[in-house]
Amino acid sequence: MTITTGPVSGEILDILDDPAPSRPAAGNTPDRSTLPGALALYARWEKGQWSVGDVRVERDRETWAALRPFAERELGDALTELEVGEVCVTRTLSALVDHAPTDDDRIYLCTQLADEGRHVRFFQEYLTTAAGIELDSALDEASAYGQLFEPQLVAATSRVRESGGDRGAWYEALVGYHLITEGVLAAAALRTTRVLAQRYGLHALHEGLGNVARDESRHLTYGLMAARRGVDDGEHRELIARCYLSGAELAARVMVNPHKKAITPVMTAALHARARQLTAQWQVGLDRAVRQLRLIGLPGLRDDVERSWSAAQRRALAEYRERWDTEHPVVLAA
Amino acid sequence: MPEDQQAERVRELVGAMSPLGARTVTSSDRVVDDLGYDSVAILELALALEVEFDLQAIAEDQAVDLLTVGDIEQLVGQLARKPA
Ligand SMILES: [Fe+2]
Ligand SMILES: [Fe+2]
Repeated sequence: MTITTGPVSGEILDILDDPAPSRPAAGNTPDRSTLPGALALYARWEKGQWSVGDVRVERDRETWAALRPFAERELGDALTELEVGEVCVTRTLSALVDHAPTDDDRIYLCTQLADEGRHVRFFQEYLTTAAGIELDSALDEASAYGQLFEPQLVAATSRVRESGGDRGAWYEALVGYHLITEGVLAAAALRTTRVLAQRYGLHALHEGLGNVARDESRHLTYGLMAARRGVDDGEHRELIARCYLSGAELAARVMVNPHKKAITPVMTAALHARARQLTAQWQVGLDRAVRQLRLIGLPGLRDDVERSWSAAQRRALAEYRERWDTEHPVVLAA
Repeated sequence: MPEDQQAERVRELVGAMSPLGARTVTSSDRVVDDLGYDSVAILELALALEVEFDLQAIAEDQAVDLLTVGDIEQLVGQLARKPA
């Protein structure tokens, strides 16, 4: 069966849902003791297939062409970030596959590799066919993820290979990959972008992002399960906590993105609206970073994550001012 | 652009970009209550006005509440760069 439509629901851990870290676990948010294993995730993958062709991205072409500049820039930037991120993961994930701790893990990770290939195809098809945006190296250079996070992930996965599969290196890459890239950055980006797609009537985009989010929910669930195993074995607990903290810092910086001049409206009402929008997006990232802690068995890390996140955010905002000789819109509006 | 022509162009834009669908608006229409503008729509409108009228940044103490279409007309009148 091919699933191409419908809301993203019933997933083990729906990455599009609203994180509410201050409230106790409710509904289908799993407790760390109920996260499914690699075999169960494989079974979900078998049942959750979809195809890029069935999304028919070309049906958004006209609507996209009629977008106003603000919407076009917001969506174009968001899709570029997602595309660059997906390409990066297809280039690096195989290190985790090759050195997976068990055969079940490896088989599951093979399915994820196939998913990531499909995601790249989807975003590239959408950008070129529906949005008319060329795929070139300029995309990479404009991407905060490509500039700030990708080098870290490449280095971490290289260490996995060079060490011949050292378990600590494997967990380090897993944290950067599944918990930060997918659980924090991709989750926040997919959510924001899908809301915009709906708002502007981009039906193919809305549907395709829903499919991607369903896959990513599975990937994140695997990451949480695997990280929890590392935390529980005692030996990798400290390492995972350390990697998580530095990953969260980097994610905060990626979200501020000091490398790129932000849209800064001159009309005060609009400036405030923009600042609220950005702050809300950043908050989604932080909430996700905090909520995952309970699931991987590191609830005590919460204060540290919040502190590191806001310190990294402040540094990124200062960096922005240095670079552009003006304050970031969020600072201007404060 | 003469001021009345400018005000008319503002009304056109505000009407065309209304989230409720393109419509004819008057200066007394309320942006949020009558025309359905939410924060994203206000942002889109403001950026469109910036491009259209080459607006210059507003000082914080000059800030006015944008309640009606007339408020926007006035603001644009103040901020539009006059040809030297
Ligand atoms: Fe992906
Ligand atoms: Fe993924």
